[in-house]
Order: sequence, then structure tokens, then C-alpha cells
Amino acid sequence: MDLSPVLTGFSVAFEPENLLFCLLGVTIGMLIGVLPGLGPAATIAILLPITYNLEPAAAVIMLAGIFYGAQYGGTITSVLLKLPGEASTVVTAIDGHALAKRGEAGSALGVAALASFIGGTASILLLSFIAPALAGVALAFGPAEYTVLALIGIFLVGTLGSGSLVKSAAAAAAGLLLATVGLDPLLGTPRFTFGTDQLADGIDFVIVAMGLFGIGEILYNLEHRDRPQSAVPAFGRAIPSRAQWLRSRLAILRGSAVGFVLGILPGGGATMSSLVAYAVEKRSAKDPSRFGKGAIEGVAGPESANNAAATSSFIPLLTLGIPANATMAVLFGALMLQGITPGPALMTEHPDVFWGVVNSMYLGNLLLLALSIPLIGVFVRMLKIRPGVLAPITIVITMLGVYSIRNNAFDMLLAVALGLVGYAMRKLGFEPGPFVLAFVLGSLLEGSFRRSMRIFGGDVTEFVQRPLSATLVGVLVLTVVVIPVLRAVRARQIDRATEPAES
Amino acid sequence: MNPRPFTRRGLLATTAAVPVAALTACNGVQGGADAAENDFPTRAVDFTVPFDAGGSSDLLSRAACLAAEEPLGQSIALTNKPGANGAVGLKELLSGDADGYSIALAVKSLFAITPLVVDDPDAVSIDDFRIIATLTNEAYVLVVHADSPYQSLEDLVAAPSLNYGTAGVGTGGQLSLALLFGLAGTEATDVPFDGGAPAVTALLGQEIDAVSGSLAETMPQIEAGALRPLTVFSEERSPFLADVPTAAESGYEVVVDQRRFVVAPGEVSDTVAGALVLAFEQARQDPDYQAFLQDNFMDVWEVEDIEARNHLSEAAQQYAQNVADAGLTLGDGS
Amino acid sequence: MAENETEDALPEPDAPAPGGRGLAAVAGAVPVVLGAAAAWLSLRLDIGTLTDPGPGLWPLIVSALLVATGIGILVSARRAGGTEAFTRGAISVAAAAVALFAYASLFEVVGFEIPTLLLLAAWLRFLGRESWLSTALLSVGVTAAAYALFILGLGVPLPHLIVL
Repeated sequence: MDLSPVLTGFSVAFEPENLLFCLLGVTIGMLIGVLPGLGPAATIAILLPITYNLEPAAAVIMLAGIFYGAQYGGTITSVLLKLPGEASTVVTAIDGHALAKRGEAGSALGVAALASFIGGTASILLLSFIAPALAGVALAFGPAEYTVLALIGIFLVGTLGSGSLVKSAAAAAAGLLLATVGLDPLLGTPRFTFGTDQLADGIDFVIVAMGLFGIGEILYNLEHRDRPQSAVPAFGRAIPSRAQWLRSRLAILRGSAVGFVLGILPGGGATMSSLVAYAVEKRSAKDPSRFGKGAIEGVAGPESANNAAATSSFIPLLTLGIPANATMAVLFGALMLQGITPGPALMTEHPDVFWGVVNSMYLGNLLLLALSIPLIGVFVRMLKIRPGVLAPITIVITMLGVYSIRNNAFDMLLAVALGLVGYAMRKLGFEPGPFVLAFVLGSLLEGSFRRSMRIFGGDVTEFVQRPLSATLVGVLVLTVVVIPVLRAVRARQIDRATEPAES
Repeated sequence: MNPRPFTRRGLLATTAAVPVAALTACNGVQGGADAAENDFPTRAVDFTVPFDAGGSSDLLSRAACLAAEEPLGQSIALTNKPGANGAVGLKELLSGDADGYSIALAVKSLFAITPLVVDDPDAVSIDDFRIIATLTNEAYVLVVHADSPYQSLEDLVAAPSLNYGTAGVGTGGQLSLALLFGLAGTEATDVPFDGGAPAVTALLGQEIDAVSGSLAETMPQIEAGALRPLTVFSEERSPFLADVPTAAESGYEVVVDQRRFVVAPGEVSDTVAGALVLAFEQARQDPDYQAFLQDNFMDVWEVEDIEARNHLSEAAQQYAQNVADAGLTLGDGS
Repeated sequence: MAENETEDALPEPDAPAPGGRGLAAVAGAVPVVLGAAAAWLSLRLDIGTLTDPGPGLWPLIVSALLVATGIGILVSARRAGGTEAFTRGAISVAAAAVALFAYASLFEVVGFEIPTLLLLAAWLRFLGRESWLSTALLSVGVTAAAYALFILGLGVPLPHLIVL
């Protein structure tokens, strides 16, 4: 391939002005990532006016930095406060927070930062070399493929729980039910909207995550504030130990690969990637029972996956002009305001923008890694703040963040109501993870299935007649039926062999 | 139409009632007492975009407000308040003060198409608003994949059966194709997606046979040669696709377009409205704004309040009539 | 054997008290009731067929799933622990929720400053049991910091009274 545009891109990325905007972008991104509820899409929208007077490349370099910087920052609150601001960090919160409770917050965040860096960088490398070839992947996925993919995801949600399986299933079912609130995706019929058009577009994911995880957790701790707090032990170092590195390096590699591939898919790719990465780690672990209680691979895999996915989600935008998620939609808008139409012609018509942005990401990731290490040290100290002080501050920031999603106070009421649900779930032994992820995948599943049915004219067998969806159906059967059955059989054999007399 | 939606009351009704009460006074929050109307505006004007950031309405609002700030002599603060095709943001506008410091963008489809799909007794009516400035007229274009066998509109409607994608229920794209295939008697299945981009993606992947979308959604792919335009549903040919015939030229009287305009609450005083109207009139002459329209394939719609009002109510009647004539059901059709 | 653990064994000093059978039954009953209610609402929508689903079909399937899992929980409720008894601390939770609902309702009416200040003060003093001095300092400080960060720094369009 002709490398000259790539090299031009480097010179664009390394122009002092662009360096500055890259640094500015990743710093803002990291900051808003840390603030629960305030997401990159809202922030980029707010900062759009600043970009009016910038060069297109500088504008997009900064805005892109906000997007992937927020991924790094979001991990910090997920791990320390169990406040996942993005669907893709829900999974990280599970083992990350367990590690933090064990006093390993520092190293958990250190591994997460390293995993994010490796995942992100690997993904840019792949993007640089094979992005045009991969554009087709996004197109190969039609409604049928998304249907099967979402179904796989919902079954994988089951692997998240560490408690009762039937309770995980119930939580997931409740999440699927909540996802049906709003207008019917194909017919426009209001469902469970109770007459208000505040609910017509359904409920935003962030509200559900903030309510069930963040506010629910705070309310739960409030009830038990008189219980002697188990003193948080030393926080550990931000630099991971050799043992942790050895344990997570393969997870990081696998996570990067999974994240890169799934991130290309517009709609649900990033969420799926962290979920799949977690499931892969849990299933390939010698002792899966460690997961949910603070397994470092459960942080490393999903973190590398969601950062790789964040990067590869630029592929459909930059090569096809298709925004893969809400943040990409705003970035799309930013480019349009600059008079640049993202699309098939971008790479040839504006190579400086395309390669400038792509190459700035190497630098951005490096800056983020460098920023992370000292920041982790600062943020970990948050755990030393008395819960009676930390809780109200967290909740105020969360509420302001929730408001900023749609600039709507109704959403704050919803978040509090969901916080009560999260609290009650915790008391009754349900986990919020399956609920939240099923919520995300539910609308993807229903919409895709019904679109497929329309396209297939009601013929369900088409799912196994299309090569790609048939392959995915194979994967589904393998993960949901074959592997568990084999496992059960083997476990029984081992049981018989080791303890023949006992039950 | 569904006979029952929006009348049921349930668990959430009480929670839902709280913010409605809460919204009524919110616009007075930012500033003190207003000076005389003649001095309008003495502080920043709030502009509500009742759609998500990044979409056509959002981008257009940003470009128009940017151009209107200087003639207005005050800054214009943009806030996105999405929901229900703009109804959430516009209802809030109406619940606030009619002092001219709160204005919003509105779209034709909310007044002309949404009522055909969602039966909402509390729906906003164009009579509740004063039209400050009409901005754009955007055509819907029917596209097929470049590898598709259909070279013309005649080919397409003659197909034995089709699946067509739209940006969702109650969009102009859906209405235009439902009317077209209804008139032509083509056996066609509607596949609504969650927005224009997924629909175009599905067409690029040849999952579906055709899409009717806005020019902003489809032009980049048309220019790249990935999609082929067959017809436009505007009254006249689009200046951006001068070679593409209108549906009417091919004998199908289907005219569906999207129009965007700026509104204030209806009770706003003439003096205040006058100042706003003047500012946006000058904004429409701004070269940057005009370049924006060009870049985003938006045609201008620049008429007086009364003409715009007539157009909107006529379009609403016309669509309802068309849908009834063709025996169509948008939405769930129950 | 599980019963012995949950009923008789003394809980560890730090561990939450288990909820017992009553609460375990509630944990199953809630999904059943919720699912049944949702199923009833779904049935009032058009169900359609599997190949041509109406708006009610998917909610109905999901509701049925919820009912089924709820029954599953009820069946295993005899031995399954996993719940925690509600304590008197639950009153604080209710108080906090009421405060938050009030906060959200006032937010757009009077701007974010006063509700934020009041929420912080009430929470710090009564739920967090901070001294009056640190309550005052912290609530003013955090509100000011939030103003600086969200409104001045990031330009988030929060409704606010004070214009700087």
C-alpha cells in the first residue's frame, strides 16, 4: 500500500496545535469519564461550538480524544464506586469493584489502564492497515445476524452472575422487560409508557446503569452505615505486579482481538465485546469460581476489549459514513459542520483528516496511559473519604450527569426510582449486572428479530440458510448447549471418580 | 390507529405528573425581571433543539443560531431536549414563559405525520406556536443499491415483491414509500429501522431492496456510487439531484418532504417576535449559513408565518387523505 | 443442610443478616407479580403471530419468562438463602429516596443551586452525621465546585439562578 498519506497523517498528528488538542481532548474525556452519568456523547455535543473555529483535523482529533479518553476515565468510577457510565464498562465493574473492596483498587486500575492501552493501540494498528478491507464486515451483518448475536449475548449474561442462576435469569428477564418501554420499534404503538411521551423513546441506558448500580449501591450502604465498616486495606500499587501481569497478559490479547472485531459492528458491538471477553476469560479459567469475587482477568479482558472496540467503532464512520453509536453520531455532526462528509470518499478526499485522526490515537492512548498512572493514585484516595461524605457528593454528581443526557429532570426521577429497584434487588439477592446488560441487548434482539421476520417474509429457517447467521447459530448452540452439557458430564465423571460414596 | 394509547394510567402516572408541574416555571430561572419589550433581547436567548445532538435538526439549529447571534445582538444558547419526534421539547417550550427568550426548532413531520401514527390527545398543534422563521425544505429520495437490477422507478414498482427500509415509524421516508407502493399496487414490506443510518447500512449490505431517506443520509453514498437514486418525493426536482425525476413526473402523485422552522410560544408579543423574525431573516442571508445548507443538501424554505402555517395544515390534511385513500395503516394500524 | 446454615448459624459480625424464608419467598413473588402485571398489559396490545409479531408479543414472552423465573425462585425458596433482612436502617433509605425525588422535582423550578445545597446539607448532617460546621463547609463547597465544573467549565446547560 501507499504509505505516504499515512506519513502525512503523522505529520498532521504531530503538529503542535494538534498535539495540544489531542491532550486537551483526552484530558477532558478522562475527566468526564470519571464523572458518573456525564457521557462522551453529551460532552462532545456541548463542546461542538468550540470546534467551529478549528481546523477539521484538530476538531476531530480533540473530539475523538474525548471519546476514547472517557473509556479510560469510566473504568475508574466503575472499579472504585461501582458506577459504570457506559454499557461496555458494566462488566468491568463486577470484578473490578470486588478487587477494590479487597484493597487491590490500585493494581486493578493499573491493569485496566494497561489493558486499555494495549487494546486501544492494537486496534489502531489493525485499523491503519486493514480498515478499508474491514468496512465490509459492518455490511455483512444484517438484522438476522444481529438477532443471533444479541441472543448469544443474552445467554452470556448468565455467565456474569456469581450467585443463583435462576435469580440471574429473573434479573435478565426484568431487564428485557424494561427495554420494551417506549414506542414499539416497528409499529409505533406505545408500550408501558403510561401516557407520557417522556417515555416514548424508551429509557436511556445510562439512567438504568446509574440507578441500579450507583444509586442502588449508595442506598444499600446507607441502610448499613452503622455496620462496622471493614477497613479498606492498603490500596496497592498502580503498577501491576509481575504475577498480575502474567495472569492478565493473555486475557488482554484475547480481549483486544474480540474487541476489535465486534467493535466494527454498528449498534451493540462494544457492549457485546466486553461481555464476550468476560465470558471467554471465565470459561477458559482453571477456576471460574474466582470470577465475580475479584479476578484480575475479569478486568483485563473486558477493558482491553472495550477500548479496542471504541477504536474500531471509528471504522464504519470513517470508511462508510455510518455512525456506530450515539457518540459517533455527534462526531459525524461535527464533521458535517466542518463541511466534511464522512463517507466512502473521506479517505481519498480528506486524507489529512482521516490519517491525522487515526494517527493521533496512538499518541492519545499513550497520553492516557501516562495520565492514568498518577491519576489512579489520586482517585484511589477517594476510598479513604468517609462514606457519609462521599455518598452525597457522588449522588449529586450522578444526578447532574443524568440530567445532562436529555436535559430533562424526569430522567432524574427515573434514576432515583431505579435506584430503589437496585436497592431492593440487592436486598433480595438479585444482581444488577444481568439486568443492565439484558436491558441493552433486549431492544437489539427484539428489533432485529422482527426486522428479520419482515425481510424473510416470516420464514424462520432463513436464519440457518444465510452463511453468516448460520455460523452464529452454530456458535450459539455450541456455547449454550454443547459446552455446558459436556461440562456437566465431565463434572459428574470427576465427582464419581473422587468422591464415590458421598452425595 | 390504536384507540387506546396515551389514555391508560398506571404505576408511573403519578411520577410522570411531577415533572410536568415542575416544568411550568422553569424558564424564569436564569435571569431576573425582564426589561421593557422594546429592548428585547437584553440577555441570551435559549434555543431548544428537540432532537439528539448530531442529527440534521441539531446541525441546522447550530448553523442558524450561529448566524442569528450577531443580528440579534445577544448570544443564543442551544440545548438538546430530545424525545417523541420533538414533542417533549416543544411541550416544554409551551409550558414556559412566552417572553421570546425561549424558542425552539420544529419539524413538519411532527405536525403532519406523527398524528397519523400516534393518537395522542395531548399532541402539540401548530396553532400553539408562532412561526419565527422557516428554514429548510428537505427532499426524500428513493435509493436502491448500485448492484440492484432496478434501474428506474418503473422497474422497482413492477417488482413481484420488495422489502423497503425506513428511518422508523412515522418518518417521511416511511410515508412516501407506503404511498408510492400503495398507488402502484406493489407488494412491498416495510422494515422500519432505528434511524436513517441503520437503514442505509442495511441497504448497502443488500438486506433490503430500497430506502427512502433524506439527502443528508443518502447523498454521500450516492456520490460514491454505492447507491442509485430512482426518484425524489418533492414537489419539484431537487437542486442537488437535478437528473432524478420526481415521483409525480412518473405518474405517482406522492409529495412528501421534511421542513424545519423556528418557533416561539404563540402568546409571544408582536414586538418581541418581530425582533426574532428580523434576526433570523438576516441569518438566512449569512454566507456561512448558506454554505452549510449547501454542504448538507438542504434546500431553502423561506416564507411568511401565515404561508408556512397554511402549508403545514394542508400537508397534514393531504397526508391523512392520501393514507385514507390508499387504505394504508402507518403504525400498528389497529 | 443449607437450612442449618441459614437458620441457626450466627452471622459473622460484619455480614448482613440473612432474610430467611419469608424474604426468599418475596424474592420469588415479586417477579411473578411483576411478570403477571406486564403480561396482562401486553395482552391488551396486539399480539400477532410469531412470524408477524404485534407489539404485544415480545413483552408477553419476556413477562412469561419473568413469571417462570419467579416460580423457579419460589420453588427453591425453601433452601435458598441469598436475601438480607431489612433493618431499621431502611428508614434512612426511604428518607434519602424522598429527598432525591424532591431534589429532582425542584431542580428545573428553582435552578440547581438551592436544591443541591439543601440535599447535600441534609444528607451530610442527618444521614452522614457530620458536624454542623463540616456540613456547612462541605455543602457550600461542593455546590460551588459543581457550579464551577459543570456550568463554567463544561458548559452543561443546567438550570441555574446565579449568572456569572
